[in-house]
Amino acid sequence: MSAAGDVSTGDRHTIGARSDGGDRLHADGRVQKWLARSGLERLSALYLWAGFTLLFGLLEPAFLSSTTFQLVFGEGVVTCVLALAFLIPLAAGIYDLSVAAVMSLALCISVYLNLHTSLPSAVGACIAVASSVAVGFVSGFIVVRLRVNSFIATLGVAQVLLAAVIELSDNRQLVGNFSSGWSQLGNRNLAGIPVVDVYLLAIALVLWFVLEQTPAGRYLFATGGNAEATRLSGVPVDRVVWGSLVASAFVSSLAGVLYSMRNGLFVSTIGPGYLFPAVAAVFLGASQLSRRPNVWGTLIAYFALAFGVQGLALSATSVTAWTQPLFQGVSLVVAVALASRRR
Amino acid sequence: MSKSFGATRALSDVSFEIAAGEVHALVGQNGSGKSTLIKLLAGVHEAEEGSAVEVDGVLVPLGHPAASRAAGFRFVHQDLALVNDLSVVENLGLGRGFSTGFGGRIRWGSERREARSMMRELGFELDVRRPVGELAQAERTGVAIARALWDWEADARVLVLDEPTSALPSAEVAVLFASIRRVAARGLGVLYVSHRLDEIFAIANRVTVLRDGSRVGTFETRQMTEARLVSLMIGQAVLRSSAPARPRGGTPVLEARGLTGSEVCGVDFDAHAGEVLGFVGLTGSGREEILQLLFGALPRRGVVRVAGSDVPPGSPRASISRGMALVPANRHRQGLILEMSVRENCTLTDLRPFRTRLGAIRRRGELAEVSSWLTRLDVRPRDPTKTLAQLSGGNQQKVVLAKWLRLEPRVILLDEPTQGIDVGAKALIHGLIRKAADEGAAVIVATSDDEEIRDVCDLAYVLRDGELVAVRERSELSIDELGLLKHGGAPAMPGGAVRGSTG
Repeated sequence: MSAAGDVSTGDRHTIGARSDGGDRLHADGRVQKWLARSGLERLSALYLWAGFTLLFGLLEPAFLSSTTFQLVFGEGVVTCVLALAFLIPLAAGIYDLSVAAVMSLALCISVYLNLHTSLPSAVGACIAVASSVAVGFVSGFIVVRLRVNSFIATLGVAQVLLAAVIELSDNRQLVGNFSSGWSQLGNRNLAGIPVVDVYLLAIALVLWFVLEQTPAGRYLFATGGNAEATRLSGVPVDRVVWGSLVASAFVSSLAGVLYSMRNGLFVSTIGPGYLFPAVAAVFLGASQLSRRPNVWGTLIAYFALAFGVQGLALSATSVTAWTQPLFQGVSLVVAVALASRRR
Repeated sequence: MSKSFGATRALSDVSFEIAAGEVHALVGQNGSGKSTLIKLLAGVHEAEEGSAVEVDGVLVPLGHPAASRAAGFRFVHQDLALVNDLSVVENLGLGRGFSTGFGGRIRWGSERREARSMMRELGFELDVRRPVGELAQAERTGVAIARALWDWEADARVLVLDEPTSALPSAEVAVLFASIRRVAARGLGVLYVSHRLDEIFAIANRVTVLRDGSRVGTFETRQMTEARLVSLMIGQAVLRSSAPARPRGGTPVLEARGLTGSEVCGVDFDAHAGEVLGFVGLTGSGREEILQLLFGALPRRGVVRVAGSDVPPGSPRASISRGMALVPANRHRQGLILEMSVRENCTLTDLRPFRTRLGAIRRRGELAEVSSWLTRLDVRPRDPTKTLAQLSGGNQQKVVLAKWLRLEPRVILLDEPTQGIDVGAKALIHGLIRKAADEGAAVIVATSDDEEIRDVCDLAYVLRDGELVAVRERSELSIDELGLLKHGGAPAMPGGAVRGSTG
């Protein structure tokens, strides 16, 4: 009610100041009302998704095959898990730019242990996850105790991790020799659905529960909203920030383990490429649903973009190499610009 | 040099003159017209018919900042307006422009030399390449003066300093004074505005007193006493000795011993259940800091005990678990989370009552409790899902109160609880404060609003320069006297007479 009041006074004010713009402003008002009614603002990514499906379905009938769905939903899981990892500290206003590097570390350790030891793959994966969690502790120490801005701290940590994986892999491609059981874990389909989507759903459910339903999640968002007020309300803000970075490293390492199941190989160039799509999904997702970084918005945003990318790839075969980054870059900026305008 | 003024709304018929080489102090309570006068001199305000400002016998056109500058007025305002990240040289250059060489390159060498000699003339030996933010307060003030007086040899005639020491630790005041004396020795007139009266006597040759927009008089400081100056500012001499100390009942809920922060210095006091204490004092007296120190929001030295057990410093969490609550003065920065809902803000202080066995938050229980508080405090709209950004200031403050009152704290600290709030909300908040005390809490209010002290407090503690200088009970409290005590006009009470300090 009061929001509507604000809008109308705002309009009157502007009309008074710029008498020539009256018609345009009226049109703006109508558009805003229509947007509010259709839920387009809070669900724009869903509409976008539907739009892409329709558009590319018409342009290229092959787009609507189950191959497309399998491909997008199968290949997207690693990025989605990384996006969820990025989401946790972001809720507390902390940037973890090392998510992709941590994933790369976990993958490298998994493949390395597979090649050089006789440990079962699952044990190797556990060691990879434990090492990544240790990295999260270090990032937390740098941010909380050394008071380094999280953006800088995790950027630095990411570079150090890159150095570590280059050293560990001898800067060569490592092709793992995983058991077929292990790769089945990543490549099987359950009733036509890639099994990794079940893992993704499970991780997303746990994160949704923690972020939206528990005090821990409340503390994360409160810290992101106003850290000082949150500290003065008795919340141990330092522990919240530190914990979020550990959790983020943990989830990132799961992405690395998933990758080892699906592809079973490591190259040091794998990590960095995953950062942008993951971060873009989180920011685009934050403009969806509850208007703050959230789990389902992130997933919807990612898949909407992924369908767009896939559609472009199918319908314009000659330009595939540069379409993906162009498309992702433009849609991130446009989506966030629209969200800022609304505020 | 002389100035005389006709009537304006905030200022009527004030005339006085400043001699070359003189430090002339201007004093008066808040609202006495000091700021209006300064704005008038700066050319920011229009003066009414018949007003005149003359410099060296030449009439200065009023209402034009450029004319004021051309006539030789230079100003250093309270906030100094320096860019902390930039160096001294860069800050000086921002006001004046840089001398540049080939390709627009700033001649840093000559800029540095000039800056260094300028600072030296004012009595400061410092590395002019250091960022201003790293300098001591007095040095920063010196940089602001240097910037104002860059061309002092050319045509600066009068330097106006508006509350230059309000943010200055007392040890640095002497440094600043030395440089002000150097300015005066150069033949400039200095108009020195301050409400720290001891400084007036230390630096000024003469003092002009304003009250309610009129000039009370101009006096030689040598023939003046602090007590007389204060009574001139306030209008009546109301010096009274305090009533004899009466022991208060029971053991105290809160004890502070040797409480020390960056302003507060060695304060001892007790607070008992059922009473409302008020802290008053000028800006910089420690009033803004004391509650934050008690709560552990700022680092402190000294001992704070609640119900007999020590509260560790620097941990709001520990303070809360001992039963303390702080309603901060700056609610946007410290009190609430604007983009979160009323519900989320209210329950942030303690989510335990709503925990389910799985560790989730029980929404229904949360909503029920928050709704009952919204009704009790008359928050409008009565909608727990609204974000705090959608509420008015008074309603935001009520939400901040609700988030603490629901914990039933033993010690409630309220910093400027009704600042910037409408009259209705103010009365309601005052009612809540009394009620919380009646229900057994010890309430401590720090406020710059003397009427608030009169309206809600049982006891008023007066802070001056970080120390507790007086205690007054409600029955013996007068607002005029509070003014005197804050400014240091009345003789300070001996330490032993401050009640509770020996418990």
